[in-house]
Amino acid sequence: MNNLFEYVPGNSFIHRLNPITKLLLTVVICVAAFVTDRLPVLLGLLAVNLLFGLIAGVAGRTWNILRGLLKIAVFLFLLQALLYRGGNPVFWIITDQGLLTAGKVVLRLVVVCMPLTLALAVTRISDLTNALTQVLHVPYPYAFTLAATIRFIPQFVEEMNGIMEAQTARGIPFDTARGLKKFSMIVPLCAPLLISSVRKTDQTAAAAEVRGFRLRTRDSAYKRYPFSAGDFAVFACCAAILAGAILL
Amino acid sequence: MICIQDLSFTYKNGTEPALREVSLTLPDGDFLGVIGPAGAGKTTLTRAIAGMIPHHYTGDYYGSVTVNGLDTVETPLDQISRLVGTVFQDVESQIISPVVEDEMLYGLENFGVPRAEIPRRLEEALGMVGIADLRERSIASLSGGQRQKVAIASILALKPQILVLDEPTGELDPRSSRQIFTLLRKLNEEQGITVIIVEQKIMLLCEFARHLAVLNEGRVMRQGEVREVLAHAEDLEAAGVNCPRVTTYSRALSARLGERQPVCVDLDEAEALTRRLMK
Repeated sequence: MNNLFEYVPGNSFIHRLNPITKLLLTVVICVAAFVTDRLPVLLGLLAVNLLFGLIAGVAGRTWNILRGLLKIAVFLFLLQALLYRGGNPVFWIITDQGLLTAGKVVLRLVVVCMPLTLALAVTRISDLTNALTQVLHVPYPYAFTLAATIRFIPQFVEEMNGIMEAQTARGIPFDTARGLKKFSMIVPLCAPLLISSVRKTDQTAAAAEVRGFRLRTRDSAYKRYPFSAGDFAVFACCAAILAGAILL
Repeated sequence: MICIQDLSFTYKNGTEPALREVSLTLPDGDFLGVIGPAGAGKTTLTRAIAGMIPHHYTGDYYGSVTVNGLDTVETPLDQISRLVGTVFQDVESQIISPVVEDEMLYGLENFGVPRAEIPRRLEEALGMVGIADLRERSIASLSGGQRQKVAIASILALKPQILVLDEPTGELDPRSSRQIFTLLRKLNEEQGITVIIVEQKIMLLCEFARHLAVLNEGRVMRQGEVREVLAHAEDLEAAGVNCPRVTTYSRALSARLGERQPVCVDLDEAEALTRRLMK
């Protein structure tokens, strides 16, 4: 979980794509997953995701995302399968329609969760902010807020782990507690975590300010983000995915 | 030139003033070391010089701070930042970008450094601190000391006329600490950059700084040349500031022999004194 949003350096085809293109692909996959209601299309989208991860050379990260989603996927599948009424019973109160619906819900969840995480793994956050301001004309403060949020997730987790380790060292059984018990132990830690995070964020804001945050304009970034042939190829893929999801 | 006059500051929501009637004057090209116990107002002083007080941290502000003739209250923070480069105590919160190169670029881009000059500035700053090989690394993969060097390099790349550093060697090993101080001395002597450094490593500070300011409970207890300040070692120790061991040593000799010995600031002086007394 700690490094789920961390950038994986590389020079693959996907790495070299314009950040906006990767963002578009992400949006298209998500939209397609909600537009379609057919299992084969959802399976196809899953394949697109896996291919995305494979070409980008982040197979390990892809696997981690899938493994992370496993628990909630199983839970959702059972819930759907047990509660769905209608269709022919297959086993106990579970029906064939129920299984199909449950499968689609779970697949949709996985398909929607994957692309953004993958895109962030192969895009430097600064490239994302720069491209958002340069290409899409997003005002810099908004782009910065987005970048800061993504940047602070791992830091937040790191800090939480630090507090938990400190508590464990003082004899609080964080390392052995599970489920609801662990959750109830985490709740009292939220206040100190929040306070230290707010203080840190304020200092980071100061750090940005003394390095000319307010002077930054659309053209400030050293790097430029033109679209290349590869980007246009991906645009075509996006169109095909959308068309496929709507027509099939 | 930096001129601080009767500066008192209480943070918003703070009960006690963090600084009380502080007056300090720094000529261009000075190398000032700031020492004092925890909570003495050292960080607040650096923030006031960098203009973060009162522009970012608000509160009750009395007195005045002028940097190169610009009053920090009236001058926009961006303009002060072009003159004053600040390295924070908490490196973690100073670093904005997830990759070293981007962190270096951030200030350069914002201050509108010409595009053609950016690569050279970037390489130069990384080279000065000795981390040219870390350029492509992600911040998360770096050690505390390496992050500290990145923070210092990102400020050096901006070529400020005044450098304010708040415990910049806190996470560094002795060798790297000395390397940073040596670099600061070089910048100070060759380019005339004014250096203001808060530091706990008193021995290094006394070796490299020209002037010392001792802060305690928001007041400047002592200020002056290093040797002058160390001559009042008992005051410093009363305030909870450690003196270099050689200074303690020369004081102990004075007490033991019943006659006043010169104050030693470095090891060579201590050796010379010992040899003279042994004769």
